[in-house]
Formats: sequence, C-alpha cells, structure tokens
Amino acid sequence: MKQIFCHIEKCLGCKSCELACAVEHSLSKQLVAAMREPVVPKQRIRVELIDEHGTLSRYRTLALQCRHCGNALCVQACISGGIRKDEDSGEVRINPEKCVGCWSCVMVCPFGALVRHEGIHRAMKCDHCPDRETPACVDACPTKALVYLEKDGVRTRDVVL
Amino acid sequence: MNILIIGNSAAGTAAVEAIRTRDRQSSIVQLTDELHPLYSRCLLSYYLAGTISRERLQYREMDFHERMRVQLHTGKRAVELDTNRQHVVCDDGSDYLFDKLLIATGSSAKLPGNIPAGIQGVCVLRTLDDVETIREHVRYARCAVVLGGGLIGMKAACALRECGLETKVVVRSKRVLSQMIDDGASQIIGRRLLENRIEVLTETDISEIRSQDHRLVGVETDQGQVIPCELLILAKGVHPNTELIQDTDIRKRQGIETDPYMQTSHENIFAAGDVAEAFDITTEEHAINALWTCAVQQGRIAGLNIIGEQEAYDGAVGMNSLDICNSPLISYGITSPKDGSRYQMLVYEQPANNVYKKIVLKDHRIKGIILLGRIDNAGVLLSLIQRKADVSAFEHELLDDRFNFAKLVGYGDASVLEQYRQW
Ligand SMILES: Cc1cc2nc3c(=O)[nH]c(=O)nc-3n(C[C@H](O)[C@H](O)[C@H](O)COP(=O)(O)OP(=O)(O)OC[C@H]3O[C@@H](n4cnc5c(N)ncnc54)[C@H](O)[C@@H]3O)c2cc1C
Repeated sequence: MKQIFCHIEKCLGCKSCELACAVEHSLSKQLVAAMREPVVPKQRIRVELIDEHGTLSRYRTLALQCRHCGNALCVQACISGGIRKDEDSGEVRINPEKCVGCWSCVMVCPFGALVRHEGIHRAMKCDHCPDRETPACVDACPTKALVYLEKDGVRTRDVVL
Repeated sequence: MNILIIGNSAAGTAAVEAIRTRDRQSSIVQLTDELHPLYSRCLLSYYLAGTISRERLQYREMDFHERMRVQLHTGKRAVELDTNRQHVVCDDGSDYLFDKLLIATGSSAKLPGNIPAGIQGVCVLRTLDDVETIREHVRYARCAVVLGGGLIGMKAACALRECGLETKVVVRSKRVLSQMIDDGASQIIGRRLLENRIEVLTETDISEIRSQDHRLVGVETDQGQVIPCELLILAKGVHPNTELIQDTDIRKRQGIETDPYMQTSHENIFAAGDVAEAFDITTEEHAINALWTCAVQQGRIAGLNIIGEQEAYDGAVGMNSLDICNSPLISYGITSPKDGSRYQMLVYEQPANNVYKKIVLKDHRIKGIILLGRIDNAGVLLSLIQRKADVSAFEHELLDDRFNFAKLVGYGDASVLEQYRQW
C-alpha cells in the first residue's frame, strides 16, 4: 500500500493541499462550482503548526491526514461497521452508508485525522482519492513536500524533522 | 486446536477476526443464546428511533462467519462449564469440548427489585428482541418514562422522543450521565434535552408501578408525583453475565478476573468484554468497563493470545462518545473526581454555544476529559492519557481548539513521530 508523507522541511503551510482535497471531494470537482454546492465540500487533510517553543519563534508546518494505521483504533471503535480495513489494499475506508455519526472514531484517532462532516452528519477522512492515480493533495503541492510512497520506499529521513 | 467462543457480539467477533489474521486452521465454534445473526448492540437505539433499518444493525457482511470459517450456533445457552474436562454443556443438552475457551458473555440489564415482572409496557433495552418489544408498545403509547440517566437511558430517551412520544427521564442522582460528565456539562445537556422536550426529573426514583389488566398505565415517584405512561424503560445499568463460572474455580470479583493477556485464573480459559475485569489506566484499578471499544480491544487481545501470540493489553480507558440532541459529546476516564483536592481541573466553557471542555489532571498527567460541542482532535488527547504523558510543558494549551497532533511534535515528543511513520 502507498501512503502520503509530508517532508516537513519543504512544507510552506500554503494550504494548496486543503483546497485541492476539498475540490476533489466535491460533486463537480471544479473549484468555482464546488463552492456553490448545497453541501459545502470539506478537506480531509489539514495543515498543522509545529510550534517548537509554544511562542511561534520557530515553527514549521505539517500537512496531516489519515495514516491508515495497521492496527487502526478507529476500526476497533466503530459501532456500525462503517469503518473497515480493506483486506487487500490495507487502506482504512469509511462507508457513508453505514456510518451513523456517533463519533467513536473521532474519540480514538491519535492523529485527529477523523473529523465530523456536519453537513452530512458522517465521519470523514482521507481516502487516497480513489478516482485518481495520485491523491489530489500530492499533485497540488507546489514544493513537492507531499509525496505518495510505497511503504518500503520510505526512509526515515524522508519524514523526520 | 478447538477454540470455543461463548458470545457473538463485540468481544467474540473481535476475537474471531484477530485469530483469523494469523490462523486459518484451528476450528472455531461460537455460541450465542440469541436467535439472531451478528448485530451491533450500540445501534439498537438508532433502529428504535427509525434512523436506520433493521438490516443496518448488521455490522459485518452476511457471510462473515462463513468467510471466517466459524461454526456459529445460535439459540444455545451455555449452562455448565467443567474446567477440568474442558467441556461446556448447553441448555438443549448439546455439549462442546475445547482446547481454548473465550467467555464473552457480556452483560444484562439490571432489574430494580421493586418493579414487578410481567407487566406489559415495562421493558429493558439490551437485545434486538427487546427493541422489537419496545417498538410494539411505541405503536400505541403516548408517554414514556425512562428510569436511569446513563448512556443507554439517554440513548433510549432520545430515540423515544424521535418516535414522537412524550418522554421523561427519572434519575436518582443530581444529573444525567453522572458517570460520564460533571455539573458544568450536564447543565448544558439538561438545557438541550429540555429544548428537545425531554424532561429530566433528578434526585427522583420510581416507587410504584400502576397497571390495569397487566398493562402499564403510569408510575409513581418517591416525590409523590404520578406520571401517566404506557411505556417504561428500565435503564439502571448492567451486570456481567458470570452465571456460567459460578460453580467453577475461575476467579471473579464483580466480573471475571483477567491478566494482561485476557487470561482468567485458568490457563486455557480467557474472558473479554462486559463480563471481564481488566486494568483501567485512569483509575489504576481492575474494573469492568462495559463499553464497545473496550470489548473489541479485549476480544482482539484474547484472540491473539488464544493462538499463542503474546500480545498484552495496555489497559482500558473508560470512554464514551455520543451525539445528544445534535451536540457531540466525548468523555474519558475520571471526569468529576470524588476527592477533588488531589486533582487539578482545567475548564473552558461557552454555554451560549453549547461548548464545554474540561481536563482533569493528577501529577501533570491527564486522568479525565469532557469535550462537549467541540470534539476535533479528541483522540490526540486520549493518546496522552494512554501514554501517561507528562503534560506540564503544554498544560496551558490543552483546552485550545487548535491543540492537535503537530503540537505534540513541536514539543519534541519523539514517540509520536514514530507513530506517524508507521502504519
Ligand atoms: C442500547 C445500547 C447502546 C449502547 N451504546 C453504546 C455506545 O454508544 N458506546 C459504547 O461504548 N457502548 C455502548 N453500549 C454497550 C456495548 O453494547 C457493550 O459494551 C458491548 O456490546 C459489549 O460486548 P460484549 O461482546 O462484551 O457482550 P454483549 O454485547 O453483551 O454480548 C454477549 C453475547 O454473549 C451471548 N451470551 C451471553 N450469555 C450466554 C450464554 N450463557 N450462552 C451463550 N451465549 C451467551 C449473548 O447472546 C451475546 O451474543 C450500548 C449498549 C446498549 C444495550
């Protein structure tokens, strides 16, 4: 399985990934049209601030999304069978037909990568953009901070601070 | 190896899944005294409210047991356990030998002693059959009373209100959800309930049942109030189903005692879920946490150890999540400690926006959390409880809505980056 990683040193915090993600998860997949959709599309990736001393004197940014954990706590917490690990790909997937919006997954995700989509009262998270070869956030990243790599291709220095 | 699992719910199912990730060979037989295939108990209130269909109660595929190569025997109640011969007998006389046994018999609704049995309209909410019975009464009932303001009581009350019934909740304590939240949060919840026309009678109990021709017509409270109603839901908590081990040497206190491998005092017998006592990280005591997530995690650990994978349970954290009258609410651990002096509390509230957040600390470690209205990144805080992390460096930021995973990275917590790299 491939996973999205963020080179923290290259991330500018520009949020191009957030925008691309929201557009990709809209009905129209077009920015202008997406903004007018009845349910405002939301991003499943979030640029977070790594603030070293809590004073903003030195900070970096991290674009974070679902880690598709091996022993995924959200799958264990889900009361409806709406979050399952795909046995073949290893991806953790949400089935919106089954999700009841109890937020048990939000309760346990150590990354805060599962959030509420209030418009549809369902949990949502990164799905690796099933309609695309490369996830939209990775394609949209202007500095190539976001990469989509095979597990074995990841070296520690690719993703450390 | 012959594996026998008693119970076909959260813990039993998690055990099956864990076993089959590494072992396709061993024979697995699963018993349940219910007649239904696998369903999620936690969804029963959604089915009662009509938000989901009966089919959606099924939380695994129809052919789950077939694919997992499990022989599921429904409608069989295990009544006898011989720990020496490793042998279980069911109520219909059928019997099973096992090499390894998992007791995942869960719990049952507690019945208050002063309420007579056999009155139409007096119900509990525990099984699918219970809900079908409640639904029959909902057809003609106009008013419902729920006795008990815990998680199940509140879920029942909200569901009955959605069915259009006039609904009252009777609780003995000063507030609803008293195990889960504190006074501050319960004031907001109380108001939300009232806005949804669910009335809560606190510090009250039911003293008498009124019936006509064995049909419920009302209840009388110990405050002298008579409430006409056609439906009464008893939600005074649950007790573990430990009858099976009564005459055995398996050790139990309230629930069946387990070690970190979910093993009981008998080396080939394991226990998990609502029936088991396990170490609790926040209280630092062994206790039952009758919760779905705990049952699944314990079932998984039991399953792995049954097939000889030595994996230990980190311990439970009592945790609840529910969406109550459209306000998301999550709580963990000790939220209103009895001996407050040994704890430090951080509170942030915006009552007008139905927001309330609280962190309970002891020796700079998080022991409990309430998040009402704003729950993003809740799991990041949970990870701090589970790791017993010293939070003194960022205590002042814990209640900030922007407290997130990157904050932990910023504060130089190396273990979280390790977590990020793995999957
Ligand atoms: C309405 C409702 C809502 C809930 N909502 C939540 C929620 O939102 N979040 C949460 O964390 N928890 C919730 N819970 C609690 C949660 O459902 C339980 O913690 C969980 O189901 C425990 O799983 P378990 O496998 O230990 O046991 P159980 O679910 O109790 O299942 C026990 C199994 O054992 C079988 N069994 C018992 N005795 C025998 C016997 N002698 N022989 C054969 N079979 C036997 C039963 O048939 C059943 O299959 C809710 C419970 C209810 C009733």
